[in-house]
Amino acid sequence: MTIHYYTNWFSSIEKFADRSIRPFYWVANIPSRVGQWADLSSTDRSVIEKENLRLKQESLIYRGQLQRMAELAAENLRLRLLLNATEWLTDSILVTEVIGVSPSSKSHTLSIDRGLKDGVYVGQPILDAEGLMGQIISVFENHSVALLITDNTHAIPVQVLRNGMRSIAEGTSDYNNLQLRFLSTTADIRVGDELVSSGLGGRFPPGYPVGSVLSIGKIPGQNFIEVNVRPAAEIDRSKHLLLVFTSQDGSRNGNSQ
Amino acid sequence: MTSMRYALTVIFSLMLALVLQLIPVSADWLPWKPNFLLLMVIGWVIFKPSQWGIGFAASVGLLADLVFRSPLGLHVFLFVFIGAAPYLLSGWLIYFNFIHRCFFVFILIIFSELLRNFMYSVWGVPVDYRDVPLGAISSAVIWPLMDKFLVNVHNNRR
Repeated sequence: MTIHYYTNWFSSIEKFADRSIRPFYWVANIPSRVGQWADLSSTDRSVIEKENLRLKQESLIYRGQLQRMAELAAENLRLRLLLNATEWLTDSILVTEVIGVSPSSKSHTLSIDRGLKDGVYVGQPILDAEGLMGQIISVFENHSVALLITDNTHAIPVQVLRNGMRSIAEGTSDYNNLQLRFLSTTADIRVGDELVSSGLGGRFPPGYPVGSVLSIGKIPGQNFIEVNVRPAAEIDRSKHLLLVFTSQDGSRNGNSQ
Repeated sequence: MTSMRYALTVIFSLMLALVLQLIPVSADWLPWKPNFLLLMVIGWVIFKPSQWGIGFAASVGLLADLVFRSPLGLHVFLFVFIGAAPYLLSGWLIYFNFIHRCFFVFILIIFSELLRNFMYSVWGVPVDYRDVPLGAISSAVIWPLMDKFLVNVHNNRR
């Protein structure tokens, strides 16, 4: 057990087993799919029309904002060139669906319906509509397994949006909580501060929302403060996720869906 | 009930418990999720300890480890440890009525959760012992259904 927990010597057994156990996850997902279908079938036509109208309006607003963003991005690029700074990497995305969730409250992993044939790779970041969810740890032909940022073995470099202060957010095995470690008692951090990925380490692209500071605890006699962070992503609820391909990966450039 | 049908019933019940265990629930409800697979193993060991003993519990534990992607051996250890109790007490269990069995199962699930949390805490995973009774309560609540099913299966077999 301990060898398996701390090493990946059994990864070949796990990979072999993963192919065989996929049907169990598929069957376990049937109730939620039936629920979605029933929900959709029982919804009144007028409600769907209203929702359609709302989504069209939202889409219009977002397109307008996107135009503004494109202008800002172009301006940012010009300024970076003037400063001789390195070029920002552009990201493309691929929509994916959750097909299985780890039943253990101690191991925060999930399976998604994209694999090798879609160009998914180990270490690839995944996010939902609200923020970063985690990264891919195993890739199979038609599906992949992702480790969530709330898993206690996961850590992500972050920075405070307000002042750029860097830290590392670690998972705590709690779907609603991350912790910032080793922040000194004089660190400039407040409740409500937004945290985004800093991009350090090169695994996660910079600028994606990670969470917001929920509470700050000062423990008497300790040199560090305890900072609890609420993840931005709906870790235990999101069904549809996005796989991020940075232009560094090359494989999916201009192939976003 | 023929031996073949009996074996198929056991396999089907285990597969069903496995699938029920895998059904995704939100984080708020996760501590309340009954341990379907362990309940099923306890059930088969209680009702037929001569046929479904420690080896059976270990095999299901190995299957659980592979399906749940947990450290290999964790569920084997848990299922063998918990399955050993009804196996060793099988001489007494025949005198247990339905209420006694419910209470017995509740205690076993509590032990199983304590043991699981202890193992995780050894590996440095933060654990919350307040969640331990929640899963045991929900497991004890659904036990009557399993008990009835297992009693029916064994009555038909006689």
